[in-house]
Parts: sequence; C-alpha cells; structure tokens
Amino acid sequence: MEIKENKKDAVLLLELKGRLDASTSPKFQKKILSVIEGGEKNLVIDFSDLDYISSAGLRVLLLGAKKLQSVDGKIVLACLADHVKEVFDIAGFSVIFPFYDATEDAIKSFE
Amino acid sequence: MAIVQKIVLKNNISEIERLSNVLESFGKENDIPQKTIFSINLALEEMISNVIYYGYKDFEEHLIAVLLSYEDDEINITIEDDGSEFDPTKVSEPNKDIPVEERQIGGLGIHLARTLIDEMKYKRENKKNILMLRKVIPSLC
Repeated sequence: MEIKENKKDAVLLLELKGRLDASTSPKFQKKILSVIEGGEKNLVIDFSDLDYISSAGLRVLLLGAKKLQSVDGKIVLACLADHVKEVFDIAGFSVIFPFYDATEDAIKSFE
Repeated sequence: MAIVQKIVLKNNISEIERLSNVLESFGKENDIPQKTIFSINLALEEMISNVIYYGYKDFEEHLIAVLLSYEDDEINITIEDDGSEFDPTKVSEPNKDIPVEERQIGGLGIHLARTLIDEMKYKRENKKNILMLRKVIPSLC
C-alpha cells in the first residue's frame, strides 16, 4: 500500500493506494499516529485508489478518530468504492465518519 | 467437475498478501465476479488472521491449509489449522446497544466474515480446527 501526503491549508490529505489489510495496516497506523502527534487535527483520507479494507484497517481509522476526538479534530473520508463502503456499513462504522463523494468537498467540510 | 485450488500459508501475517494474490488470480482464471472474490478474501483474511494472532501459544512455524473448490456457482472453502481450539460460529454478534466506538473490537472481523459469507460451519478433528465457508455467486440479472 502507498500513502501520499498533501497539505491543503489547515487540512492534511492522505491518499491511499492499494489494500488496507492486516499486513499493510501497521504502516498506515504508523503514518496516522505520526501526523496526529505532529499536530494535524483535520484529516481527509482519499480512498479513490483503495480496493480493499478489512477490520485491521477499520481499527486504525477508529484509533485515529479517538485520538483526534480529544483535540477537537476529526477524520473525514472521501471517494469510497461501493464494496469498500459496504464494509463500513456492516461494521457499523458509517456513523463514526463523515463520507464525501469528492475530495474537494471533504476538504471544504473543515472550513 | 469442481475446480480446486489449495493454498498453504505460514502463521505469519505477511502471508495475507500472498493469499489475496492467489484469490485474485483464481477469480480471474475462472471468471468469478470481483465482488464475490472481495467477500471471500475479506472473510478468509479475518478468519486466518485470528488464527495467526491468537491460535498459537508457541513461537514455532505452523501451516494453515486453505482449500478452494468452485462448482455450480458456489465456492466452498475449508480452512484447516493446528492452533488452539476455537469455534468462531459460537462467537456472539456485536451488541448493537453499545455505541460502536466503545464495542469490543475483537468480534468485528468475525461479524464481517459471517455477513459476507452464506454459510459457516466448524468442527474439531484430530486436534485441528476445520472451518468450512460457503459462498454462493449471485446470478446476474
């Protein structure tokens, strides 16, 4: 899995490419914890090029969301494929994260 | 006649990547819809990562055998491991009354697997866990 990082004013955009599974989620966890530690509060995660997510990936997102809650920050998700969104729905995670169909709208939601 | 493929994985989490590669080519070679392969991949990852993380008390290498069988719009999968006895069909569903943020994260993978698969059966035989999964390929309209 590849993670691309892009700073847009007060928002940090993370673009994920590939698969977020048990073998790749430690890399994602390291990244998300390090940007939060570095003071980022407004995260947009772009799922356009992400084909797959399992509970290991959901756990990392939940961990990030909980960390950000205490500093008044949040994680917003953009451009999920239908089958990826379905995993959030089944897990009951759709109530935790705001979802957007376009990255620009996800970024604007922080204004 | 059924199309059969066997995959033998080590109890190392990096094997999840190899599993997904094998499933992807199995799907392509046999024209199985991508969504079906996605569901099977997710269910297998959840069940096998449980075995890798919690199934072994020693630090030895163990093998987990996965057998795929495709026939008559149905995929049957058997996962066989020599880890501690564990029947995932006995794990209760997540408590919907507790906010999802506060729920025990442990049962989540099993819940995903159960939802995406049509049938899950378990037996313990010769000190092995044998888990059988069945996925019906939905017919296209």
